[in-house]
Order: sequence, then structure tokens, then C-alpha cells
Amino acid sequence: MMFKAFFKPAALAALLAAATSAAAADLEISGAWLRAVPPVSPTMAGYFEIRNRGDRVVKLEGADVAFAGGAMLHDSRTGEDGQRRMVHLDSVRLDPGDRVRFAPGGKHLMLMKLSQVPRAGESVEVCLTFANHDDLCTDFPVRHNAP
Amino acid sequence: MKTRIRSGVVLLLAALTLAGCGDDPGSDLPVNTRLGGDFTLTDHNGEPFRLSSLEDRVVILFFGYTHCPDICPAVLARVAQAYRNLDEQGDAGPVQPVFITFDPERDTPAHLREYLPWFKADIIGLTGSVAEIEAVAEQYGVVFLKTDGQDEAYDFTHSDYIYLLDRQGRVRKLYPADFDIDEVVNDVQSLL
Repeated sequence: MMFKAFFKPAALAALLAAATSAAAADLEISGAWLRAVPPVSPTMAGYFEIRNRGDRVVKLEGADVAFAGGAMLHDSRTGEDGQRRMVHLDSVRLDPGDRVRFAPGGKHLMLMKLSQVPRAGESVEVCLTFANHDDLCTDFPVRHNAP
Repeated sequence: MKTRIRSGVVLLLAALTLAGCGDDPGSDLPVNTRLGGDFTLTDHNGEPFRLSSLEDRVVILFFGYTHCPDICPAVLARVAQAYRNLDEQGDAGPVQPVFITFDPERDTPAHLREYLPWFKADIIGLTGSVAEIEAVAEQYGVVFLKTDGQDEAYDFTHSDYIYLLDRQGRVRKLYPADFDIDEVVNDVQSLL
């Protein structure tokens, strides 16, 4: 009975979510992934959700990734004229209790100057960097579509 | 932000202004008489490519650039999925996806030739001079602005509609970047 309960869909979903989440005492990352792109692609985008469970403001600034020469926080925005533009974000402020989602068509982590391009099915470590917090590292699975 | 506006601006209202009817018995998609038309650019093999050379094919036409990390790969993946769905139903033969870059400086024929086959959708990549691409963009009501970025990087602000062209090369429908794949498949099939 316990075996069956353990593998109920909800429990399985929680296990899968835990597999791609990371947490410091006060920060939690979940739903992390990178969009699969061609091997000659010069850039790729990362998505995740970050939650500040602590009691102080934290500023996300970027990321360190072994295979990328640079990483920036960007936001894809659509103006009233229907034009899509990419805005560079110097940082993303997380007040206590804040939850910020990086998702396709919105905020995203842009990885540049790729020395290699990981393939769909692989997982790579991405360390998010902050102005006032230790790095937070977690594995980002490479996928064709959002989880 | 330094911007450069060279392509003509065709308002969305004009883009969505429709007139006339198609002559496809299976389709009720109206013909858009304000947008589109024939053009010649350079394909991913470095050869001149004229749109009208795709006579009797339904074309899924879209614009973008390969250094775009977020929207463009997602659009390419969705177009590719629509094409593969058509292929599974035996309907991809008379269908041709065509990608036009905003970024001829970095999206050379050689780069497009390496980049596009990964999507497994027989996509034709087109580039050309900036002036040539601007002229095609104006025909289709596409606006793109080059924006300088940090560290020698640059991006483009751009409209991101996807265009469905019938077998006579006429625009029959526009879709947003997050289009419904089944809708496109059904619309394509109505034009076959």
C-alpha cells in the first residue's frame, strides 16, 4: 500500500520537481530548464522560477556557466505597437516572499559565447549569481519544450 | 539605445485588412491583398532564391535571427513541429517553411546552412543585403530595428508574425509567435 501511495501521480510529480530544484536556506529555484538549440547556435535561453523565502531583499544579477562566455538577464517585451524587443536587466530584485518566473516570451537567462551546446536530454550546472548572496547552483535539463 | 529604422512601417490594421476570397474550395481563408508579393533573396546555399519559384506550394513564411535566444528558436521549433505533423499525415510534400533573417551580418548562408537542418523541417533559410531584406520586410509589414547591446552584441526589436501563403503566393493568414500548431496544420491542409 505504501508503495502504491508513493507512486501516486502527485507524489511522482513532487519527486520530479525536486529533481530540478535547488534551495539555499532562503532561496529556492524550481522548474529550471534550457531550450535545446542547434549545435551551431551562438546563444541559448534558460528558464526557471526563483522564490525568496528569506527575510531580506536579494538581487539576482546573472549566472556562471562553464560552457558559456557570458550570461545576461533579459526580458522579451511586447510594446503597444506589437513589436517584440529584448530588454537587458541589470538585476532582478526579490523582496522577501517574492516569486519571479523566467519563462519563454518573458524574462529569461541568455547564455552567450557558447563553447559547446548541450543537447536535449543532457543536464548542465548553472550557478545563479547575486549582488548580495552566495551563488546558487542547480542542474538545468536541456529540453525541446517547457516542462 | 541606438535604433535604426529603415523598413517601412505598415500598421497592424493594414496587416489585418483583408479583401477578396481565395479560390481554394476547401478553404475559407480570405486573401490579404495588402501584404506580400514576390521577392528575390539569397538562400542558405548562397544561390538566388525567388519566392515564386515555389509555385504550387503552400509556404509558411517567418522572420527572425539565429542569435535570438528566446522567441526565435521557439518559433522555429513550432513551425518545425507543424511541418512534421503534416509530414506524419502525408501532407508535407507541397508545403515549404521559409525563414528570412533580419541579421545578414551574422546569419550568412553558411551559418543558416548549418543551423536550420537541426529542426528537421526542410526549412529554406534566406538572407541578403540589408536593403534587400528591408524591402521584403516592408512588403510583408514587418518592422525590425537593430539595437546595440553590450560586449559587441546586438539584438533586434521586431514584429514576429508568421505568414501562411497559398499556392499562388498570396497571404492567407497571419499568426502570432505562440500560434496553435493544430490551427496551422488545419489551415495548411485547407489550402492543399
